[in-house]
Amino acid sequence: MGALAFNSHLIPGFTVIGIVLGGVYALAAVGLVLIYRVSGVLNFAHGAVAMFATFTAYEVSTVKGAPGWMGALVAIAVGAALGFAIEWLTIRPLHGRPPLVKVVVTIGWLLVLQTAAGLIWGATAYHQPVHLVSRDGFHLPGANVTVGYDQLTTVIVALVFALAVAALLRYTTLGNAMRAVADNPDTARLWGISVNRVTAASWMVGSAMAAVAGVLITPLIAFDTFSLTVVVIYAFTAALIGRLSSLPMTVLGGFLLGLAQTYPRVFSSLSGTADLVTFALVLLTLGVLFRPGGRKVRVV
Amino acid sequence: MTARMRRISLLVVAVVAVVWPALLSDFSRSLATDGLIFGLIVLSLVLLTGFVGQISFCQYSFAAVGAFTVGSLVSAHHWSFWLAMPLGVFGAALVGALVGIPALRLSGLFLTILTVAVALFFDRFVLASGTWNSFSGGLSSWVVGRPAFLGIRLDTSYRFYLFVLGVFSLCSLLVWNFRRGKTGRVLRAIRDAEVAASTLGINLTAWKLAAFATSAALAGLAGALLAVSIGSVSTGGYDLIHSLGVAAVATVMGVNSVASAAAGGLFLVFGPEILRHLGVSSQWFNLITGGLLIVQLIVTPDGMVTDTQQKIRHLLRHRAAKRASETPAEIDLVSANGQTAGAPAPAARPVRTGGQR
Repeated sequence: MGALAFNSHLIPGFTVIGIVLGGVYALAAVGLVLIYRVSGVLNFAHGAVAMFATFTAYEVSTVKGAPGWMGALVAIAVGAALGFAIEWLTIRPLHGRPPLVKVVVTIGWLLVLQTAAGLIWGATAYHQPVHLVSRDGFHLPGANVTVGYDQLTTVIVALVFALAVAALLRYTTLGNAMRAVADNPDTARLWGISVNRVTAASWMVGSAMAAVAGVLITPLIAFDTFSLTVVVIYAFTAALIGRLSSLPMTVLGGFLLGLAQTYPRVFSSLSGTADLVTFALVLLTLGVLFRPGGRKVRVV
Repeated sequence: MTARMRRISLLVVAVVAVVWPALLSDFSRSLATDGLIFGLIVLSLVLLTGFVGQISFCQYSFAAVGAFTVGSLVSAHHWSFWLAMPLGVFGAALVGALVGIPALRLSGLFLTILTVAVALFFDRFVLASGTWNSFSGGLSSWVVGRPAFLGIRLDTSYRFYLFVLGVFSLCSLLVWNFRRGKTGRVLRAIRDAEVAASTLGINLTAWKLAAFATSAALAGLAGALLAVSIGSVSTGGYDLIHSLGVAAVATVMGVNSVASAAAGGLFLVFGPEILRHLGVSSQWFNLITGGLLIVQLIVTPDGMVTDTQQKIRHLLRHRAAKRASETPAEIDLVSANGQTAGAPAPAARPVRTGGQR
């Protein structure tokens, strides 16, 4: 193991980092759960979609020098377009096939997007992050820690988006239709809901959220094609904590994972520790929450 | 008829596999060797996914156990390959069984998440450069020499190729044998109807764990051979993307047939090489694999090799059926089987029941 030393003065700073990371995971996980509930597909390409969309924002903002918000808008558009393309081109023709086949199709998309991004922007090189707001910060009263405005923005954006999806599902016609399709596609069809259109909409909204999460996470991690693609595993972990159904629990799961990944760094400098924690959480949630004969998974 | 055809085609394949590489350049031969080694990993997926219906996206993690065991023991601790290799295979089987334990409780969908998490855990933690430093002074110095087999040094590329070909053939035969007899029936029952299988008294736990362990052992063996073939061990070669790629190739080729293991392995090695020849970056390979995977799942659900095999079989059956309908003796056999004679389609039955298996 690496250097084991307890550095208590690092705790406040790591708390901030953990919460910010958690917000991003929560955002990505909510999109993942939305797609899973409405279309029944575990979207392994979620992280790859986020990565590809984020790199278009990088191209627009960091390389071409456009303002950060413009890059973010481009990323959202690209994310939604990719989500639509995946659903329309490859998930819809597989209607009636086993769910596992659809999952493997998303693995195919993961490989395609990951490789394409590597060919366009370089597979391993370090890339400058996309900055939406200034990197200045303010001093949090009562604790010895500086909170960056970008970090604050990240958490606020993540929470706003999660609430927006909850509101969408609860108060709008489209949201009602999504919930109906999630409950029972055949009954939804009888009610005159266009299942195809609603499913496509859920893929677009979910993938757009992945794109936002991707753009927000760039200043926090080593930003390359692979590290963003594997964010899907962190999103899955958060979603598993919410049993792939409850949105509030998913958001909580995201924050829990963010903090759980960050705190071990107080003790150990080993780089893989975050993934050790993630793996343990995946095992724990799969073992405890998904045991056979357990409570039936709740609807959105 | 088909049995004889199969025997002849197997013989032809065997002769080509032994003779043709002798005429190739050293470089092409070593590529073919690596192709067979990757074929072992595809074979491990044929066993796990095709026969038992369990999915895994962490086969390269199992391979890494084999490769790292051989690499560290042979290079840094001066063990013999013949001691280190079984240990690596055993270690991989053990890890495979450990992964199989949660898999017992999970349906296919959640198993995919678990195996991807396993692959990422190996990738980022177990194989991270910091983790192995204390054991053998870092990876950079790991040089794995070619062992000797029955007193023959496997130092030329052709000898080593023949050795790997032997190993691959043995393993293929082993996996192919799993389809027959009691084992085959049990595995098919588990794959097609788990609950029904358990009511027949089949011990699902033991069989599934054994399947995971055997599959991981095959991948671990591939890892051990890969360490020898390349001559060194590096962390980069066993990551999540490799595991996803090999799963994609196995699916594209078809996980129901042992033949697709060889085809998949050779495709994994010669695909990038052909791209390089065409002046295209070999990075395109994964893009093509992913694209093929998507198209194949929509167009030919069983995989390319399996699909071709079925087409050939269909053709042979069709021809045999034509001939059968001309000879009255075969039609008598049909009526003896309780089929209605006369119609051309049932006339195909005796060939299928008598010839194919």
